[in-house]
Amino acid sequence: MIRHLFKLIWNRKKSNFLLITEIFFCFLVLFGVLSFIVYNVRNYSRPLGFQHENVWLLTMRPNTDSTAQNRVQLEQVLQRVRAFPEVEHASLTSSNAPFSFSQMRNHMSYGNVKDVEADEYEVQDDFKAVMQLQVSQGRWFGSQDDASRFEPIVINSVMQKQLFGETNPLGKRLPKNDSVSYEVVGVVDHYRGYSEYAAEEPAFFTRINLQKNKNDFRNELLIRVKPGTGISFEEKMVRQLSGIAKSWTIEVSTLEKMRQNKAKLTLIPMLALGLICGFLIFNVALGLFGVLWYNISRRNSEIGLRRALGAASIQIYRQFIGEVLVLATFGLLLGVLFAVQFPLLQVFQVESEVYLIALIGAVVLIYLLTTICALYPSRQAAAIQPATALHEE
Amino acid sequence: MITLSNIEKVYQTKTIETVALQHVNLTVPKGEFLSVMGPSGCGKSTLLNIMGLLDVPSKGIVEINGQPIKSYKDKELAHLRNEKIGFVFQSYHLVNDLSVLDNVELPLLYRKGVSGTERSRRAKIALEKVGLSARTRHYPNQLSGGQRQRVAIARALIGQPEIILADEPTGNLDSVMGEEVMHILLNLNRQDGTTIVMVTHDENMALKTERLVRFFDGQQVSDAKIHEFQKV
Ligand SMILES: Nc1ncnc2c1ncn2[C@@H]1O[C@H](COP(=O)(O)OP(=O)(O)O)[C@@H](O)[C@H]1O
Ligand SMILES: [Mg+2]
Repeated sequence: MIRHLFKLIWNRKKSNFLLITEIFFCFLVLFGVLSFIVYNVRNYSRPLGFQHENVWLLTMRPNTDSTAQNRVQLEQVLQRVRAFPEVEHASLTSSNAPFSFSQMRNHMSYGNVKDVEADEYEVQDDFKAVMQLQVSQGRWFGSQDDASRFEPIVINSVMQKQLFGETNPLGKRLPKNDSVSYEVVGVVDHYRGYSEYAAEEPAFFTRINLQKNKNDFRNELLIRVKPGTGISFEEKMVRQLSGIAKSWTIEVSTLEKMRQNKAKLTLIPMLALGLICGFLIFNVALGLFGVLWYNISRRNSEIGLRRALGAASIQIYRQFIGEVLVLATFGLLLGVLFAVQFPLLQVFQVESEVYLIALIGAVVLIYLLTTICALYPSRQAAAIQPATALHEE
Repeated sequence: MITLSNIEKVYQTKTIETVALQHVNLTVPKGEFLSVMGPSGCGKSTLLNIMGLLDVPSKGIVEINGQPIKSYKDKELAHLRNEKIGFVFQSYHLVNDLSVLDNVELPLLYRKGVSGTERSRRAKIALEKVGLSARTRHYPNQLSGGQRQRVAIARALIGQPEIILADEPTGNLDSVMGEEVMHILLNLNRQDGTTIVMVTHDENMALKTERLVRFFDGQQVSDAKIHEFQKV
């Protein structure tokens, strides 16, 4: 029977062409949107590598150009912040704090592996405690590195894999510039600083060393507060810090707020795409329904004939559902042929698995959609009385 | 053998009630070639539909080989139609998107346990019987009316039914093509012993068969054996 249906649809390919193209495009759109959603959801389900709850970001903007004075005030501010009983840990950071909108990218090379793009995060020793990072190999940097000729760095395992493969990364040196090299002292399993929906990129942490670099100044300070610490402490802290650094502008945000802002950047397009996709599918479904309906009235006498030749009503029902599934299969074959190019050609830097899941999802959805559209018209076809259908004047 | 006892068929539409058949008592013995004549609208097609289990009588009993049709369950009727009955229609009713061979195979598609190769083997034999073995790959719209009707006959006989019901099979054909079709039906009746009931408007065709019943206004008005000397 299946062969019969394929033959029937194949011989009717001209009149079914429109439907097949509609299904084809519907599949492609679904595949695209699902790829996007699967990509995001998969990233979302992966560990960030840090705990952002109860972490605040202090942004400090001095209004004078006096480097020396600013630096003195910065140290006073740091001292004051760390002295609050509500503050557990604090660490200066480069402007690419978690969920921020800035990036700092470097090209790293080791041996034959050239130009691995990696995010650099400049942080203080306390960063590990602020963000509650898990060091899985080696150690985090600290005062024991003060005497070292090298700049200690901690890398994430993505960077480890890309640069060193399976070999032990600890103690490996990477050129920073002509005079200094980095030395890998530790590895954290994960660090995904951009957004919950972003993929994990190679990342490494370098050490902000205020003692060594007397001119160093940072505008951003991450602090971990005790759970339950609220707005009243924030006001108190800002008031007191403004007392120390009188001309500074100080703003406080929570990482939670920043996370939500960053998430919107993904969720809103996802929602918009989902809506557009839904609307499109609804239209295709209506079209499909209409065409199927029309086809059945056109094929009245064929239905009567088949009944006369021995088809039971249920067989007519199955035939019409089957035809739609075959039709969908033709559209899907074309679509899949097209869609598999994405993982094969590696069009975007996305794992093949994402495409595979999206592909299977789109195929299932299209079959489901076409079946639902076919249910009612097929029932009508099955209900046609053979004698009436064959009636000729 | 088909036996109709006291058959009545009333078509009920919103506005009118049409009595298509009334008090029909008719037995078609096994192996008989019966023709049915009567003016348009007198109920001939209705009669064939009821004999062919395509339609349910409003009253009366239909028996096939002495077995009364009791339940009129869709699946059982479909099975009986497939096994016992072949249909030929005035307007052929071929599926235009299927090749001649696929059209002829159709009844076996609805029969359990017939493989694809077996279907096409038997379709070729059936097409040979109607003299169309050279046309298996053609499509209906590439054939003449007579050829189409022969395809339809091949389709009716492929399942080796006991009964063939032909509703004006030569109605759309010129006399030469009509003769060809008639010739095939006669052979089928004589050689294979297939019972045939044929509706026709053509007296000459009717005279070639064994028995003629006439209908008028839903009622059977005459029933006569055709004797050898009457035959053309
Ligand atoms: N499905 C139907 N619904 C309503 N009336 C019908 C239907 N089929 C046939 N009739 C009516 O029944 C009568 C007999 O029709 P039919 O058996 O087709 O006649 P014939 O084949 O002798 O020309 C006609 O009056 C016709 O209009
Ligand atoms: Mg008629």
